[in-house]
Amino acid sequence: MRATQLLISACVAMAVTTAPANAAWHSYISHKLGFSFEAPGEVKTTVGTYRGQAAGPKQTIVYRSVDDNIEYKVTVIPSFHQAQAEGANILGERTFNFQNDKKVLMDTFGRVEPGKDSVYGRKMTVELPKNGGRTTAAFYFTKGNLISLEATVLPANGDYTSPDPGRFIDSVVFVLSRTQEGATELQAPEVE
Amino acid sequence: MRARTLAALASAALVAMTAPASAAAWRGYISHPLGFAFAAPGDLKVEKGTYKAAVGGTHDTLVFRTVDDNIEYKAIVIDTTAEASNAATLLGEAEYIFQDGAGKKVLMDTFGRVDGKFGRKLTIDLPNKAGRTTAAFYFVNGRIVSLQATVLPANGDYDTPEMGRFIDSITFYTVRAANDATELTLPK
Repeated sequence: MRATQLLISACVAMAVTTAPANAAWHSYISHKLGFSFEAPGEVKTTVGTYRGQAAGPKQTIVYRSVDDNIEYKVTVIPSFHQAQAEGANILGERTFNFQNDKKVLMDTFGRVEPGKDSVYGRKMTVELPKNGGRTTAAFYFTKGNLISLEATVLPANGDYTSPDPGRFIDSVVFVLSRTQEGATELQAPEVE
Repeated sequence: MRARTLAALASAALVAMTAPASAAAWRGYISHPLGFAFAAPGDLKVEKGTYKAAVGGTHDTLVFRTVDDNIEYKAIVIDTTAEASNAATLLGEAEYIFQDGAGKKVLMDTFGRVDGKFGRKLTIDLPNKAGRTTAAFYFVNGRIVSLQATVLPANGDYDTPEMGRFIDSITFYTVRAANDATELTLPK
């Protein structure tokens, strides 16, 4: 009887240690940038750069976490307040650059929020060159901010049909009253 | 010999009568105030209309329209200048509405890129076998500009290159318009 209990305990311990290292999902919000999303693991904030013909050279704010060999990344280019009438063009260029020279698996409408609050964008899935993995992304331009959410399933994960990238990109919210309770406020560094 | 000549003439006449009625020449059209130019067959007529959308709201439209060989060509301008700061969503909504609805089947949905402007190009089959429409959507100077060519069932050649020729004729650099382009008359 005691041997049986020990055996069961050992099996449970082994199952726990071999299970995927899935972190809990948290909600994150930026009142300053006007959006929220959910992601697993600890999200870190960095500043990056982006350059496009329509957009010009811009600094970006990047929120990134990695969990179970899936990289979750939100990139915000926040300084288009003087060029909001060019938003459609800037968004089009961003989505074009994202899929250029890659194999496109999905390219469809994105829509966040219902009715008159709707924000339209695009959702895409591409295979990365050189078996670098598969990225599912969503792109929106709203209130002067170009926001992209990208989830990349890395080869070390290998489950390219994982539902987690979809959960990530579809978690974005622009009407902040609809954000999940308990969301963590994101840092929003000043960028040019 | 004379009988042969008559037969040849009769055949030629028959061919002429049964050929598609695509006699209209293509012409360049331009609107300097609206900032675009395109080409279409035949004479364009202009109509005023209204566009309604959940986000975009209600806006006046101008529709430049012609029909040739049972293909309807339309250049639609939606005046969203008052909402231009919401350009990306307004354009996305217009594209979405175009392909949304019972019985529509999307055959193509891809990038459009003209003179540094990014937009979308879509082809749909209309409900109830009413034809096939190829369209392009761009946001220019605060306005949604859409070129739409519909092959009607009476034409039936749903793979005709005329649709592509029409939507791809658009230019936003007026210097790239045809030299003899006709200035579009804007109603008051």
